[in-house]
Amino acid sequence: MSHRREPWYITILDRIRSSRRIKVFLLVFLPFIYLIIFFFAPFIIALMYSLGMFKQVVYEFVFQPQISLEYYYRLFQYPGVLVAIQRSFYYAILTTVGTFLLSYPVAYYLGVKLPDKYQEMVVLVLFTPFWVNFLLRIYGMRFIFHELGFLNMILTTLGIVNDPIKILGTDTAVILVMIYTYVILMILPIYGVLEKLDKELLEAAATLGASPVKTFLKVTLPLSVPGILAGSLLVFIPAVGEFVIPELVGGANTVTLGTVIYNFFLRVKGTMGWGLGSAAGLIYIGLILVLSYLYIRLVGGEIRLG
Amino acid sequence: MSEADVGRRGFLKIAFAGATALAVGSALGYFAREGEVSTLRSENEALKKKVEELSSSLGVEVPTETQKNLNVYNWTWYANLALVDQWAKENNVNLVYEFFEDLDTAITTVTTGAANYDIVVISDNEAQELWNEGYLQSIDLDKIPNFEYLPEGFKGLPYDPNNEFTVVYSYGTTGLGYNSDACPEGVSKWEDVFDVDNPDSIIRRYAGKVTMMRDSSETMGAAAIYLGYDIDTTDENELKNIADLLIAQKPYLYGYVQTEDYMDELPVAARYCISHAWNGDVAGIVYASDEYEVYIEKYYETVKYVVPEEGAIAWYDNFVIPKNAKNVDVAHEFINWFLQPEVSAIHTITIKYPYPAGIKYVPKEILEDPMIFTPEELWDKLHIGRALTPEEKAIRESYWNMVMTAT
Amino acid sequence: MKITDLILKIYTVFFLAVIYLPIAILIFFSFNESRSKIVFTGFTLENYYSLISNYAVWDSFYNSIWTAIVVTVVSVFLGIMISYGVTRYEFKGKNMLDILMLIPIIIPEIVEALTLLVFLIILGIRLSPYTVIIGHIAFDISFAYIVIKARMAGYDPQFEEAARTLGANEIQTFTKVTLPILMPGIVSAALIAFLQSYDDFIKTFFTRPPGFTTLPVYIWNMASRRGFALDLNALATFIVVISIVFAYVRLKVERW
Repeated sequence: MSHRREPWYITILDRIRSSRRIKVFLLVFLPFIYLIIFFFAPFIIALMYSLGMFKQVVYEFVFQPQISLEYYYRLFQYPGVLVAIQRSFYYAILTTVGTFLLSYPVAYYLGVKLPDKYQEMVVLVLFTPFWVNFLLRIYGMRFIFHELGFLNMILTTLGIVNDPIKILGTDTAVILVMIYTYVILMILPIYGVLEKLDKELLEAAATLGASPVKTFLKVTLPLSVPGILAGSLLVFIPAVGEFVIPELVGGANTVTLGTVIYNFFLRVKGTMGWGLGSAAGLIYIGLILVLSYLYIRLVGGEIRLG
Repeated sequence: MSEADVGRRGFLKIAFAGATALAVGSALGYFAREGEVSTLRSENEALKKKVEELSSSLGVEVPTETQKNLNVYNWTWYANLALVDQWAKENNVNLVYEFFEDLDTAITTVTTGAANYDIVVISDNEAQELWNEGYLQSIDLDKIPNFEYLPEGFKGLPYDPNNEFTVVYSYGTTGLGYNSDACPEGVSKWEDVFDVDNPDSIIRRYAGKVTMMRDSSETMGAAAIYLGYDIDTTDENELKNIADLLIAQKPYLYGYVQTEDYMDELPVAARYCISHAWNGDVAGIVYASDEYEVYIEKYYETVKYVVPEEGAIAWYDNFVIPKNAKNVDVAHEFINWFLQPEVSAIHTITIKYPYPAGIKYVPKEILEDPMIFTPEELWDKLHIGRALTPEEKAIRESYWNMVMTAT
Repeated sequence: MKITDLILKIYTVFFLAVIYLPIAILIFFSFNESRSKIVFTGFTLENYYSLISNYAVWDSFYNSIWTAIVVTVVSVFLGIMISYGVTRYEFKGKNMLDILMLIPIIIPEIVEALTLLVFLIILGIRLSPYTVIIGHIAFDISFAYIVIKARMAGYDPQFEEAARTLGANEIQTFTKVTLPILMPGIVSAALIAFLQSYDDFIKTFFTRPPGFTTLPVYIWNMASRRGFALDLNALATFIVVISIVFAYVRLKVERW
């Protein structure tokens, strides 16, 4: 009994502790395997599906060792697909620009002008509505935009219009609701940047004789660019993939790429629907990835959250 | 980290408050849920005890009853849910009753096999297509003695002559509904909604106040009837004419809407007043019907329904049992229960769709309402869809897509 | 100068009012007695009684919460592991991994959800509450990773070295030094993960089994059915009132 044997788990722990490789494997790659299985593998399956490698025979999916571009070819024969892609980007761009224009003054006021003691209170007031489920909020918007709703009531009482105007079911409704839903994602990063601005810097500019407009254009605006860029990315990406809002407040002319994919997967029966849907989904992902890559290259910064 | 990071801290604070709120809410929810479950449980317990006492006094061994499961997938507004719940409670069935709002979604759900439903309610030609492709089980009529209560005209319908895989659920027509307050002239034929070249037609004078259905087979079928074609035509020229007609009509429409939309809208008619609609839905509006309670007084008398003069699509909805159903016996029990004349009658009185097995118990005023029970003399001009092959469907789908994306 | 400030102030107040408007309208209509959800005809509290006795609402509320909690715990745990490994060790493919971790956030959720559904079906995995949880974790890991990594990158590893020189082993160092420093990052990662999961509709909708509804799915189902709306309005009131009360209490009681 010269050497006391250590319990087995201590030996294993020692082994782990001494090897960097095992540590990295356990810490990084083990959790990452989760993403590989449940996030990346499904895309591989979708890719295989879109290349015609599966065939459905009553609940069974038969693998076919072949590659065909038939689904991609067919996809663009549907006249609606290109229109839907255009429309998705149109909505997303208008939403991004709209959220920026509407929220910048608010973020500016809160971040630069508002005395510190009110900050917490106002941030609280700003965020509370977003605790209500987004579907409920969209639902509330339906009350507002309805022909008998709040907005038309005001417009007709003030005599601005004689007959209620139709908003639900149009592009206007979709874009307005999207702006409403995403505006917080734009305010947050801009406010974050402006709030950290050195107020003395602004005062210095003023004492040096710069007009308020000039201070704003030369100092504040350039300094808030990172926030604006982060905000637009945060708004643009989910906006371009939006499918719930066009479905709930849109109509026959608000079909987006999200809706098209949904329709292929869930309304066209059998292998063909999934093949077309996978193809559309992958093209979609391709577009998004290329755009985000260009964006990040162009901006050079990193996306920051929280 | 700078301590002046108010934005982040403020955000955290709100987030934290929200989380606490949710926790409290969920706690409340949990107790509400537990309360419900425990009352249920104690009721069951009491019942079980009684049975045990009784049986032991008789010297009989009772097999301990296991909880049965049943998953039903049906249209919204298509059954008296209070009655269905009661059935589930009495029979100790753990019932999952889910709804769909469009048939295509329901069909893909059945064919992917992702979700196991034991009973799905699906219309005639779709049921036939699914059967041909092997997605349905056969229904054992021996386990459904109440099948005999169905009137003769509802057994062995053309799409399933031997009732191998369907049992009729309900039937009806697809026509036009309108609010006579907002559109006093009303409509009586498809021409009223399709004749867009004539500036005096209803559609031109009520431009923007007419809706068609979002369902492709219904809307294309209506256009086909107006043009004098077969409702399930797959002839490319005819389909092109149908698409052209629908595209020409589109600028004068409010839009393509789903059931729940026109059911909300027709009574008030603020947005539109003429809708391509199903008969029982319009009847449901007129009686302001509810899924739980029975109302037999007319509430919105200004809402009307017509079967257009040129003819219309008629349809039968059916119980079917998908191939991947797990609880086939309970599914048969459910169908059998539904076919009891009294049960079917209560469903008819509640929902205002006709459930054929209950005809003899339905009060006269409902039985004679042409909106609910389609009158005999109309049947000559009604068309029933046929089963299409996937290729035929794809052709029709591409023309429908053309309509949907036209601007 | 003063004028622009005033205009900004008025605009901000107006903006806040607009943000609150849909919710105010929901609350207003929660007192409506009419069977129509559009026209206000009279005051009633009935919608609140029916909300309280509505088993389905509470059941889906409960489901939302417990799935979100499981998702949050798992994804924050995995997020800590990955971000710790990435910031403390050098290894091949680190940059690649960093980019891959971003992808779940960038991909449109509808595509993510449908491909996961196809994957589950092809593997013959039956849908259950666990498939919902699996789907949520897949995007929540990335959120947790990004937030925690930002915090981890922002402080000096010398603290850890100091602890180690003082004789603490690696696990002690992690629990006694690293974890407390990371706490704010972990809390905000947990909150973001929780919110993402709690408010998620699309992924839940496609990966849920029959009979399993979370709150967003329940609202979606009900919003497309007539006559029901007013219960939901009462629910909105309930959520808003509780979160305002708690936010206010927090603000008054504790400053942190």
